Amino acid sequence: MTNTEEHPALSPVLAIENYSLDYETADGPYHALKNIGLTINRGEILGLVGESGSGKTSLAWSIMRYLPKNAREPSGRILLGGDNLLEKSGSEIEAFRGRRISMVFQDPSTSLNPTLSLGTQLSEVLVRHRGLTRQQAWKEGEARLAHVGLKTPAQMMHRMPHEASGGEKQRVVIASAFACNPECIIFDEPTTALDVITSRQILDLFVELQAETGVASLYISHDLALVARTASRVAVIRRGDIVEQGTVREIFANPKEDYTRELIAAVPDPARRLVKDDVATAETPLVKVENVSVHFGRKPFLAALTGRKTERVTGNNAISLSIDPGEILGIVGESGSGKSTLAKAMTGLNRFEGRIWFDGRQIGGLADMDAAYRKDVQIIFQHPDASLNPRQKISEILSRPLKLFGDTADLDKRIGDMLEQVRLPRTHVQRYPHQLSGGEKQRVAIARAFASKPRLVICDEITSALDVSVQASIVELLLELQKASGTAYLFITHDLNLIRQIAHRIAVMYRGDLIEVVPAAEIESPDRAEYTRRLIEAVPRAAAQYQ
Amino acid sequence: MTEFMKRLLRTPQGFIGLALVLLVLLIVVFGPMIAPHDPEKLSPLARYKGPSLDYWLGTDQYGRDIFSRLLIGARATVVMAVLATIAGTLVGAFIGTTSAFLGGRADELIMRTIDAIMSIPSLLFALLVVNLLGSSTVNALVAVAIAFAPGMARITRSVALSVRKQDYVNAAIARGESSAYIIRREMLPNVIAPIIVEMTIRVSFAVMLFATLSFLGLGAQPPAAEWGLMVSEARRYMHLSAGILIWPSVAIAVVAVGFNLLGDGLRDALNPRT
Amino acid sequence: MSPNYIAKRLVMIVYTLFIVSLIVFAITQILPADAAVMMLGENATQEALDALRQTMGLDAPIWQQYATWFWHVLQGDLGTSLRTGQPVGPAMFEALGRSLLLAFLSIGLMLIIAIPLGIVAAVRRGKVADMVVSLVSYAGVALPEFVTATVAVLVFADWMKWLPPTGYVPLTENFASGIAHLVLPVCVISVILIAHVSRMVRSELVDVLHTDYIRAARLKGISRGDVLRRHALRNALLPTITIVALDVGYLLGGVIVVEEIFAIPGIGRQLIVAIQARDLPAIQAGVLIMAATYSIVNFIADILYAWLDKRIQYD
Repeated sequence: MTNTEEHPALSPVLAIENYSLDYETADGPYHALKNIGLTINRGEILGLVGESGSGKTSLAWSIMRYLPKNAREPSGRILLGGDNLLEKSGSEIEAFRGRRISMVFQDPSTSLNPTLSLGTQLSEVLVRHRGLTRQQAWKEGEARLAHVGLKTPAQMMHRMPHEASGGEKQRVVIASAFACNPECIIFDEPTTALDVITSRQILDLFVELQAETGVASLYISHDLALVARTASRVAVIRRGDIVEQGTVREIFANPKEDYTRELIAAVPDPARRLVKDDVATAETPLVKVENVSVHFGRKPFLAALTGRKTERVTGNNAISLSIDPGEILGIVGESGSGKSTLAKAMTGLNRFEGRIWFDGRQIGGLADMDAAYRKDVQIIFQHPDASLNPRQKISEILSRPLKLFGDTADLDKRIGDMLEQVRLPRTHVQRYPHQLSGGEKQRVAIARAFASKPRLVICDEITSALDVSVQASIVELLLELQKASGTAYLFITHDLNLIRQIAHRIAVMYRGDLIEVVPAAEIESPDRAEYTRRLIEAVPRAAAQYQ
Repeated sequence: MTEFMKRLLRTPQGFIGLALVLLVLLIVVFGPMIAPHDPEKLSPLARYKGPSLDYWLGTDQYGRDIFSRLLIGARATVVMAVLATIAGTLVGAFIGTTSAFLGGRADELIMRTIDAIMSIPSLLFALLVVNLLGSSTVNALVAVAIAFAPGMARITRSVALSVRKQDYVNAAIARGESSAYIIRREMLPNVIAPIIVEMTIRVSFAVMLFATLSFLGLGAQPPAAEWGLMVSEARRYMHLSAGILIWPSVAIAVVAVGFNLLGDGLRDALNPRT
Repeated sequence: MSPNYIAKRLVMIVYTLFIVSLIVFAITQILPADAAVMMLGENATQEALDALRQTMGLDAPIWQQYATWFWHVLQGDLGTSLRTGQPVGPAMFEALGRSLLLAFLSIGLMLIIAIPLGIVAAVRRGKVADMVVSLVSYAGVALPEFVTATVAVLVFADWMKWLPPTGYVPLTENFASGIAHLVLPVCVISVILIAHVSRMVRSELVDVLHTDYIRAARLKGISRGDVLRRHALRNALLPTITIVALDVGYLLGGVIVVEEIFAIPGIGRQLIVAIQARDLPAIQAGVLIMAATYSIVNFIADILYAWLDKRIQYD
């Protein structure tokens, strides 16, 4: 890692001075950024950390001079190597972009044009800024792809985006950002859309290229742990204000602001366990999943016509696991590993083969999932936006499980109690879901799941759509409810650090297969399966070393 | 309700659309009462008159007052179009919901058949049905309703399917709710809004289809004051007076634009998230 | 695009034509028209009528009549017109040729106007061009063909005397006069299509211009014009293929009205004549040909789309 903090005399590559940005709205101006002051020197990585809506992406657009029509800039300067970008004309800015300053985006599957080959999209930068002919640019493109660690650059140039994996696409995007040796590159959450192991590889590539070229980098992320590992300095942004900035060591070891402290505390730290390992292994587990397989899809038309055999898509491949009463079983795996498919099978949303035993009773399929099973097994989904009916008030949403599973006496009072239980004001009963924040909506979904006093609650990535601080409070609420009710959780997530904090045992899944189920404390043991070890290695740990 | 109206009136489309549709509805209800002349009274001496204080929009080839005929013809044109659209929507919504609910092979068969039926242009389909039943206003209504049903079935099905995939429906299934409850309380409120929007816009198509049928001599029959028929009859005399052609055309356009704008406005107002 | 997909689409065309043949046969059977009476006249004797019915197979059960008719259709025999006594097929296909000329010219004119209009409206959103598109699109929904056609004849033929009011002259006979006779019908049909397609192009392009990959291209320093040409247009115009193909259904309906008004002896006019005369074989043949045209156009459009857009993996 490069560290240039000892050379303050160097004139910065990028300097943002007293910069403010407003958006004109129908309700008056919205202050997106307030008196921002930042500098990035050559060879330096500045991490910009903030939650959604904090203005971190607005700042990236400001630097790239890509602002919507309703943007106003009441004050400040943005200097790139001494040139004030605010004073440059449109065509000057166009000549800067991609050559002197470039950008890597969050999701490579949306930031690449789906109908143009990867080579076309890479070489057009070279043609535009380095005056190469198409043939020269194509040759140079191949060299660039080899440089970012792609094994078969010549073939890769000819591929369409949908023919490449997420990691390969992001490498192409990075190659085009570095293509013209710019002075400064903005990385806007470049690994957020990628799987754990891939994102680790991309991060390693970034650090390597950065050290090699010495480009001044602005690394934008919501993930404090990630930034701590890559950046030399960190700026924390909140509601358009830079709350605090300093070296990574200063920020972590000695945070000055309450907000920074909250942020650091909210980052899941696997070393800090939030549950006690006191679950007694029962005679009969609460749930036993036995050889459960899920297949998708129908035979293609021609195959059905000709009787040819076809492979069906497998969502789950003979999964067997068990959950004890009061236990929190975590399931981790990359996207497409079959975590949610299993959850859906257990709640009757997917057909499955195999058997599920609940409290000693055999559940062979949808028909066996009667009211008693439904009452005992509840599910909470990832996006509260989608799981709460937009046309029902909170009162109606919460009254349903009560009416369905129990008596209807004192309905209003009990709905209010439910809201209080998840720490929402009673007055929220009159609201519609869209009038609540993301965290509040997820609390309503939690309240709904707990209404029937279930014995197992399946949490399907319920925190991954939320900000870190909100996520921490939701996790806290869940653990509190668990302590009070003794409910078992099946907690599905891709966040290894989080699951290591709260789960008793962890099940690792990969491409529909269950790799292994291990006690949370033993997940780092060298005896683990190879995939599990790779997963553990790939995850950025919170910057415990600074504390 | 008041909040909904506020949202509707906030967009220019909603405001203008609602105003035009209200105007048309007022004419439908009160038109015959306020018509200054008998719409079918022939005045051989007052033919092809331009607009005047007595005849606001002039007179036609038989000396009938165009303004009065438009006021009275509103019922024949607009009421029929609205009824036909509602009938077609109900039939289509029933087929579409059933298809989405059945799913699998049954769904595929129903939708392929709907596709097949839609390969006959709706005007031609309406022509065939009217010809089968005989030319009259009521039969034209049936024809337009039948011609609309397949399209509405498609739309209802795709909306129902997308709602069906939502997690709040999954949540209800996982909770063990009955199919009846899921369809009635979870799905229907979310399906109805886009259907109403589509229906409003389709009223304008129905107005045009009706007018076209009448124009081809297969809808309303003379001397009815149906607007499409008025245009048809005016064709032979248009070089004598353009007014007899233009005013009913304008009336058709106002109704069509009104319902179209109202549909666009409703689309925004019914979206709970904006 | 897999052979599987093409096979599936071909089977669908066959199914479509089968369903359409059922519908059209059902409708023509219920029609209160007696083919024998139509051929022999009101005053024919009962014996003569019975004899004719027997030779025409009209006394057989309906399903048998359908099977016979369908078998003949499969062999390319669409039946004999009750009105003219001539085979229906050749007359209908000749008429279809004229209608297709009208349709292709209309689609061509529409594409020339609608696509640039939609593009300009999307690029200059909220400016004058955008408002023009809005106006045109509302005019499109507000004015049925028979109104635009009638007004167009009034203005350009009666008042201005620039163009002939109605009629049809084959292009092979007198090219200039043939074209002159086609100008008004083509323009009338195009108006509604222009309204619809320009609106679609506009909304597709607006969507594409808001995608991440367009922003990414702009931030690579590619100029606005190059981004539009190389990145946006192709992606925005691809769906237009499907929209235009679906509009062919509307176009065929419009052709009926326009041919009737301008007295063009195309398939639409043939159908109206057949319907008015209750000429059952002609109605059956006409509707079947229209449905087949629509299905084939949509089949070609789907194949073209799948071929141009490699992303789509049909199965």
